[in-house]
Amino acid sequence: MSLLEVSGLKKVYTTRFGGSSVEALRNVNFSVEQGEYVAIMGESGSGKTTLLNLLAALDRPTAGQVLLNGRDLSQIKDSELALFRRENLGFVFQEFNLLDTFSLEDNIYLPLVLSGESHAEMARRIEPIARQLGLSELLKKYPYELSGGQKQRGAVARAIITGPQILLADEPTGALDSKATDELLRLFAELNREGQTILMVTHSVKAASHASRVLFIKDGEVFHQLYRGEATNEQLYARISDALTILTTGGEAV
Amino acid sequence: MKRGFYARLAWTGIRNNRRLYLPYLLSAILMVAVVYIDLALSHSKPLYQMPGGRTATTVLGFGFAVLALFAAIFLFYAGSFLIRRRKREFGLYNILGMGKFNLGRILIWETVLTFLISSAVGLLAGIAFSKLAELVLLNLIHGKVDFTFQIPLESIGITLGVFALIFALLLIFQLIQVAKAKPVDLMRSESTGEKPPKANWVLGLGGALLLGAAYWIAVSIQDPLAAMNWFFIAVIMVILATYLLLIAGSVLLCRILQRSKRYYYKPEHFVSVSSMAYRMKRNGAGLASICILVTMVLVMISVTACMYFGEEDALRAAQPYDITLEVSYVLSPGEEDVYAQRLHELVQPAAEAAGSISNVQEYHRSSLPSVLVDGYIPVNQDEIYDAREAGYPDCLLLLMDLPGYNATYGKDVALDAGEALMYCDNSAFSNSSLKVGEQPYAIREVLKENPARIPYDMGQVVTITLVVPDLAERDLEITRAQKEQEDYARLTWHYSFDSDAASEAQSQLRADLEDLLLNLEDFPLDFLMTSCQADERTELFASYGGLFFLGILLSVVFLVAAVLIIYYKQVCEGYEDQARFGIMQNVGMTRSEIRRSINSQMRTVFFVPLGLAVLHLAFAFPMLRKMLLLFQINNLPLLIATALVSVALYALFYALVYRATANAYYSIVSGARESR
Repeated sequence: MSLLEVSGLKKVYTTRFGGSSVEALRNVNFSVEQGEYVAIMGESGSGKTTLLNLLAALDRPTAGQVLLNGRDLSQIKDSELALFRRENLGFVFQEFNLLDTFSLEDNIYLPLVLSGESHAEMARRIEPIARQLGLSELLKKYPYELSGGQKQRGAVARAIITGPQILLADEPTGALDSKATDELLRLFAELNREGQTILMVTHSVKAASHASRVLFIKDGEVFHQLYRGEATNEQLYARISDALTILTTGGEAV
Repeated sequence: MKRGFYARLAWTGIRNNRRLYLPYLLSAILMVAVVYIDLALSHSKPLYQMPGGRTATTVLGFGFAVLALFAAIFLFYAGSFLIRRRKREFGLYNILGMGKFNLGRILIWETVLTFLISSAVGLLAGIAFSKLAELVLLNLIHGKVDFTFQIPLESIGITLGVFALIFALLLIFQLIQVAKAKPVDLMRSESTGEKPPKANWVLGLGGALLLGAAYWIAVSIQDPLAAMNWFFIAVIMVILATYLLLIAGSVLLCRILQRSKRYYYKPEHFVSVSSMAYRMKRNGAGLASICILVTMVLVMISVTACMYFGEEDALRAAQPYDITLEVSYVLSPGEEDVYAQRLHELVQPAAEAAGSISNVQEYHRSSLPSVLVDGYIPVNQDEIYDAREAGYPDCLLLLMDLPGYNATYGKDVALDAGEALMYCDNSAFSNSSLKVGEQPYAIREVLKENPARIPYDMGQVVTITLVVPDLAERDLEITRAQKEQEDYARLTWHYSFDSDAASEAQSQLRADLEDLLLNLEDFPLDFLMTSCQADERTELFASYGGLFFLGILLSVVFLVAAVLIIYYKQVCEGYEDQARFGIMQNVGMTRSEIRRSINSQMRTVFFVPLGLAVLHLAFAFPMLRKMLLLFQINNLPLLIATALVSVALYALFYALVYRATANAYYSIVSGARESR
């Protein structure tokens, strides 16, 4: 059984008075296996973010279902959703989304505090993660004192400290310079090698070229997918570029 | 077309910002209405001509100055808040090609529109409610209600003038703000991340110490006059301390709580404590202002209510009988006192002609301001001066004649020469003998109540009353010694009684008696004092009722100000918290956790000022009580009751406002979800 199964997913947005409706996702089907590193690509407005919101149960699908470990997200009660997200999903966003009222350390602790962990347990868990992400010296600092790359690594630490089933990343390199981007992608690959399942939405070819599989979305459907196989990052990069060219010039699915 | 363009832009600006503008307009309208009502009543002719009406209108005239000043301060606060929130919009216009000059025109139109709407609606509301306010005031001062309705044009003119001036000043202030700003600043959003507030130990602890000192002063002052003087010092200390505590002390407290890992890393404390530090940094000054406004309202309304409802106490203390006459006359040495008999024969029939009389007090008194030197009271001026310099307490010596005492109190006491009954309001003094000048007295008995109270005794100095066998002969020496240069002595004949005549007739009786006494022939009149309780009551009701009414008006205005400040705070916070709570939801905070956290923070922000204000009131209590003693009001249960009722009413009102504004806040914060 796959870790994440998406079948027949459809999302239609209607304006408040039902005047006009926009079909953001038409019919999306795919699955993610335990330990995979999947990138989802598409142009702006192709429905990437809508898809991610549905996967994160931040929004409800119009039709179709999302199964995580065989559990249908749409069957989870509203009151349990936040708890479910906290225990099973980790999030990394383009805009980092650190709270500026907390020090970096407290930002990383946030999900654990909400779960009622003791301070000793939290301190035990943060130690290896901070070392791996190169944050050990920065924990007492506040977000306004940190660079973009440091903030994003902090956000990754916050996402993985709960040991989530799947790490969801929404354009994680979108607000980073190239050096910080390389560093973050290296970290993602490293986390993935250690067994962390990652699903990343991006339109950066470079970011996608680090994944083990790339899905392309166009007009609300999965249009195409690429497997890394034995390819290097550079080779995958070239193949993604080719696929995107076909995608934008209007070719048919291969 | 072009002129209409700017007016339309201004109108759109107001409409698009109605969440901020509507409360601003409403409070401006209320200010106009209250100022008009106050002016209309203070210029009301029928009110002025009423018994006691002069006092009441004077009090209201004074209130006008306070109200106008407060309206100015308050509209400035709200106006500067509005202009800050709208800088972004102006920045956009600026980038779209509008110069500072054009922005100025929009601002002018906005101010003109605000002024026109608020003064028109405010005056209409004021006129509509002025009759109601008049009825309330008349009821408070026990005046007669008439059913004429008038609109004093003068009041409308002054109200319009005052608010035109305020809005003009506000406009100049806003124009300067816009002129100073750069377009980039106007557009810049505030997403750069905020520095965490630093705990400032010096200011935080300083505030706590200052507050402690002010409270200590308030509790430890014993003397009513000193209380009056120290009160203002204590008030300034409390105001400073409130600002320090809420700005620095609150952040300090949050930081201390954060140090305790066991306390801080709990779901229910984690988010609240860390956001409170930021919230207090941004809102400390505003909350302190609210706290001080609330304290003022509570003190004002409980004190004026206590004075108003304690009026009878004050009256009875100052003026225990319906009518009181005090006739002072002079005697030459050795001259026989034939005048007392004449006075008695003149006054008693006249008093009885108006109605039957009872509780008659008739006695002689002679008084000597001096100094109490242990068991000795000097009468020689030089000696008194030296003793005062040496630090002995001032005292007022009253001598009362024994026959008057026996007659007034239905006693049958006999005293030998050199013996006396004594009353002293300083219970520490209870010697068995007392020497006045060269004359020693053996104290036969210490009286519990002062048999010869003089009216309007404020109780500032020690009063000693001696009941002596015969004033006319023996004790003339004392008063004579006091006026060494002059060869005469002064005696006061006191006559007071209750009458069953109606209060108008009593008032007339007092006037008649005064006439009678002033026109006595062959009478060495020195000084005449006549008073009538009914007249005094009218006057007291007029001044205390006027004050109470003014207290109510000011409370309404202060309350509205506090509410508007709170509302603006909530709206501001709402926009700033939107993003924050969006993140928390993503990280896995449930909606109910978020709501609970918002609730606890909002409640703290809301009720800290109220709680602190009630604490201030509680500590101000002993001082207020002492100051009320100066107004002859010594009624602790009444003061407690009025304070409790004020606090209860206020808390209720506050809770209602909290619910209303919290909804505005929630709708902004939860907008975060939908807009994602």
